[in-house]
Amino acid sequence: MKINVLAFGQIADITGKSELEIFQVNSTGELTQVLEKTYPQLKSGNFLIAVNKKIIQKNTELHNEDTVALLPPFSGG
Amino acid sequence: MKSEKKHKVFVEGPVSPSFIAESIEKHNKKFSIGAHSIFLGQVRNDKHGEQEVAAIEYTSYREMAEEKFHEIREDAFKKFPLICMHIYHSLGVVKAGEISLMVFTSSVHRKDAMDACEEIVERIKKEVPVWGKEIFSNENTRWKINN
Repeated sequence: MKINVLAFGQIADITGKSELEIFQVNSTGELTQVLEKTYPQLKSGNFLIAVNKKIIQKNTELHNEDTVALLPPFSGG
Repeated sequence: MKSEKKHKVFVEGPVSPSFIAESIEKHNKKFSIGAHSIFLGQVRNDKHGEQEVAAIEYTSYREMAEEKFHEIREDAFKKFPLICMHIYHSLGVVKAGEISLMVFTSSVHRKDAMDACEEIVERIKKEVPVWGKEIFSNENTRWKINN
């Protein structure tokens, strides 16, 4: 079970890299717990989660090779 | 995946005034058009204490952003009777005073082009995963916040 994690903007500043691989997590809730352990600053980070490019609003089951993106507030234009 | 052709939205660096002029000129054989509405977003030299924004560096979640631009485009064509629509957004560094976003809509009468243009700009700001990092004249940086 491998999850590809993409971090952008302020969140990538916290993780120090834009791509991570996280193993043995079954849901977005478990994933954020693991990430918050490694990067405690994420607890106060403001971000949305997208699973395979779709923004999710609640805890979501993950599958092998899913891509989870951590999206801080958008500031395009 | 939808079969319609994906339009290229992202450009490296600023949207140049000559490119904007050429975009207008390309419509001069489309005689049913009676109105164009063009929004241009320009990088502003916001002050933060003693410092001033010298440039913004744009990054994106490109695959998701391109899908979102496509969805916004399809929705606008369904909602408004548009003849043409073009969206260009910068990636990379755009200096203060340069253009980072162009939304260009064309219709038979002005109201459709103007209403569509406004709605597209608002949706881009809210829904498209693009981030701007403000670079100050002393090279400090700060993540831009959209109002």
